[in-house]
Amino acid sequence: MAQSAQMRQANRVTLIPDTTKTPAAAADDSIAPPSPLRGKPAPAFTLMDLDGKKVSLSDFKGHPLVVNFWGTYCAPCKVEMPWLQEFSKKYASDGFEVLGVTYDAEVGKDTIAKDAQKLGVTYPVLLSDSKAEKAYLSDSEVLPMSFYVDKTGKVIEVTAGLGPKDELEAKVKETIAAGAQ
Amino acid sequence: MMRCAVLLAGILAVLAGTSRAQIVDMDAPPKPRAYVLYAAEAQTVPAGKPGVLQLRFHVVPPFHINSHTPKSELLIPTTLALEHGDAVKAGALDYPAGQPYSFSFNPSEKLDVYAGDFTLKLPVTATAGEHTVDGILKYQACDNASCYPPRTLPVKVVFTAK
Repeated sequence: MAQSAQMRQANRVTLIPDTTKTPAAAADDSIAPPSPLRGKPAPAFTLMDLDGKKVSLSDFKGHPLVVNFWGTYCAPCKVEMPWLQEFSKKYASDGFEVLGVTYDAEVGKDTIAKDAQKLGVTYPVLLSDSKAEKAYLSDSEVLPMSFYVDKTGKVIEVTAGLGPKDELEAKVKETIAAGAQ
Repeated sequence: MMRCAVLLAGILAVLAGTSRAQIVDMDAPPKPRAYVLYAAEAQTVPAGKPGVLQLRFHVVPPFHINSHTPKSELLIPTTLALEHGDAVKAGALDYPAGQPYSFSFNPSEKLDVYAGDFTLKLPVTATAGEHTVDGILKYQACDNASCYPPRTLPVKVVFTAK
């Protein structure tokens, strides 16, 4: 199972240009490194939601969940979020939860809320801060970025970029199952 | 071929400068990256008469950026803000049309993007002599599955009116 997950992750390639190289060189050797969080406890955070309420990761203790970093400028994120919304409902009986964390919180709550409403998102949408970004994203700026956290609070999978919907659902199922073992 | 060589030379010449400028511009970015490069090239326009400056940019593959007129109000358009001295009168920038683009997992949504090379045209009238127009290109890049934060790229257009 773990090997399969690693193979899938290896197939997800994100090219990031390095400004110290020529354009040609920049495009052919930059692969997003595997997240150091995989297999480790999900870093704790307390962030504000769109109503100004503090929401902590610990509030979801015992729940399998996805922590999904997204941005208002990110079109692939807006493809993925309705899928996450759908799965949050479909697997609610398994205790599955989704937390959206807005990377570009500086655009303001109104813009973020408008986007979330347009996308039909009803799961909690939180405003990121530098501490959470450092803990989860390190130096990466890739969006969307999702962290699959099992019931024990361990990160079992990390994905960068948009993948197929069925692959996302498979990861949700793995996250639910992993916590049950 | 010659034109390609000039373009590449221009890109390489400005690469170090733009990277350094971006480090200064951003709010403590951990690793600033450029997805768009500016190909600086010497240009000449007739003194005292209308001319057009060509500002050539290159979007590093496999990325694309939103065009000046993206299809959605939620997307960040590419814009170039310019500053110049009194000796230069500049008209409205002419942004090229974008290319249609859809993410493979959402083919129904059509975006409007720049990919590869694109050129902005700036109408100017200038007195005889050498002139500089400074600009800041603002853009936001994505690839086929991911997006990256908005970036700025300093641009310096040096031209001669004679």
